[in-house]
Amino acid sequence: MSLRDQFAKTQAYLAERFPVEKMNYASMVEKKEVPVHRLSWGYYMGGLALFFFIMQLVTGLLLLFYYQPTVSDAHASVEYITNHVPGGALIRNLHAWGSSLMIATVLVHLLTAFAMKAFGKPREVTWLTGVALLGIVFAFGFTGYLLPWHQIAVNATKVGLQSIEMVGQYLPGALARWPTAIKEAIQGEATVGQATLSRFFAIHVIVLPLTVFAVLAGHLISVQLHGMSRGVDDPPKRMEKFFPTFFMKDLQVWGMAFMILFILGLCVPFESFSAYPLFEPFDPQGSTPDGIKPEWYFYFVYYPLELLPFWVILIGQHIAIAVLALTPWIFRNTSRRTLRVLAVAAALYLIVMTVFGETIYKLFKG
Amino acid sequence: MRAPLILIFSIIAATHVQAYSEFQKFVTANSGRPVNCAMCHANHDGPEGTAPGQIGRLTPAEQAELGRARAALEPGANINSPILNAFGNHIVNSLGKKKVLELRVAPAELAKLLPADGDLDGDGIPDAQEYLAGTNPLDKNDGDPWRLFQNNLKRNFTQILLTLAATVAGLYSLNHFLHGFAIATRSDDESEES
Repeated sequence: MSLRDQFAKTQAYLAERFPVEKMNYASMVEKKEVPVHRLSWGYYMGGLALFFFIMQLVTGLLLLFYYQPTVSDAHASVEYITNHVPGGALIRNLHAWGSSLMIATVLVHLLTAFAMKAFGKPREVTWLTGVALLGIVFAFGFTGYLLPWHQIAVNATKVGLQSIEMVGQYLPGALARWPTAIKEAIQGEATVGQATLSRFFAIHVIVLPLTVFAVLAGHLISVQLHGMSRGVDDPPKRMEKFFPTFFMKDLQVWGMAFMILFILGLCVPFESFSAYPLFEPFDPQGSTPDGIKPEWYFYFVYYPLELLPFWVILIGQHIAIAVLALTPWIFRNTSRRTLRVLAVAAALYLIVMTVFGETIYKLFKG
Repeated sequence: MRAPLILIFSIIAATHVQAYSEFQKFVTANSGRPVNCAMCHANHDGPEGTAPGQIGRLTPAEQAELGRARAALEPGANINSPILNAFGNHIVNSLGKKKVLELRVAPAELAKLLPADGDLDGDGIPDAQEYLAGTNPLDKNDGDPWRLFQNNLKRNFTQILLTLAATVAGLYSLNHFLHGFAIATRSDDESEES
């Protein structure tokens, strides 16, 4: 194949993924239609994740007015927000609940998109940006967890960072030093301290939001250019207009989500699910309190990590990431029926590990 | 027979004040939640040491107050021990030091003897129940999540209704606005085509 043919092929491939001729109001909004079928609820998950992200942005911005990212003042500033700033407890609780709901929604969105084969040609870029957003959302959770600088935050971060270092023992030669170097680069000093807090703060409030804006823009443009995937094998019996019909329904879902988030934020303090000693200021001289573990959305990795040899998790994790990234090509010819079974199996694993992870751990480890 | 012996021993050893770990062990076992000395003491590591809220850091005036608290064997002494927090002082003022020492052999009884309506943090969950549940009686954000939900829902019901009304009204008007916008843009196109 000549260079010209190769170029033409690449051009055709990109033109199919980025149909610039459709980049107008009429194609992306006015003429866009959404299939109506039994799995249509899955179409609302992406918008819902976006809503929770917007809520995180707003509440996070308000928290920034009072939060102090220093080891000496971080915990006190969070306490001040909770106990003295008017509406501070509500805003902080909305941020805490919002992060969990956002991650839960993103996971449901991933599974429904997978089950509906929404990654099929020409939507590979939509899928890849979606997977990148999933990683960013988890990074938001990991970096944000440290910021209150309480016992569970610092100790769980230490455990998380140590697991990076542990990878080194399975790598050959000079590569074995890389994980330690990466850990130290993230940590910024010998142990989790001021440098770590400053870096996590910068990553959480500047690096990740800017990255998310860029990737999200690509994801949303891609969704609007290609429209909603058909979602089911049979041709949909009915289509509805994206604007204003589906868009308005999307906003109604946002309204319901807002009310649920508001009621949770107002009535159920997020920290009430864990023992109070875990939320005392981190004491580098003191002992580590019982019950240190990551946020619930990391349980699907955390409990297997506690039960199985590290290398098993490492291999499993890399396979899972590779499969996620290569899904549009691996499952290109897989039927939606098979994809639904796989999605249900993945959902069951996530639910069982999240809800019963501790019970399973106690069952095996006593 | 055991309780008076403990009481005598405690009074003899009064100069050496320490946290009563029997209560902590009971609460952890009963609730399944790990608790520490901060449930009753000013410092989460207990009274011994030189950190804030510990004996080694007390001023002469605070030491005098501590001495008065140690001698408060009967209820109603209205003490304010500097090594105890509000809940710890509430226990001593409600029951007296003598009873507290006796309860070391039966820590579950403490919940029954505390005032039933006592709620120092105002979260709607009585202190006695917070003690049994292993939650902080001085933190309104700590408690059984389901009970906090019920109490806060009742307390904030008006605000929730108002927010719901505002959300519904906002969506209703937005719905009309968007439909109007869609019709307006469609008719523009039609007029262009004609």
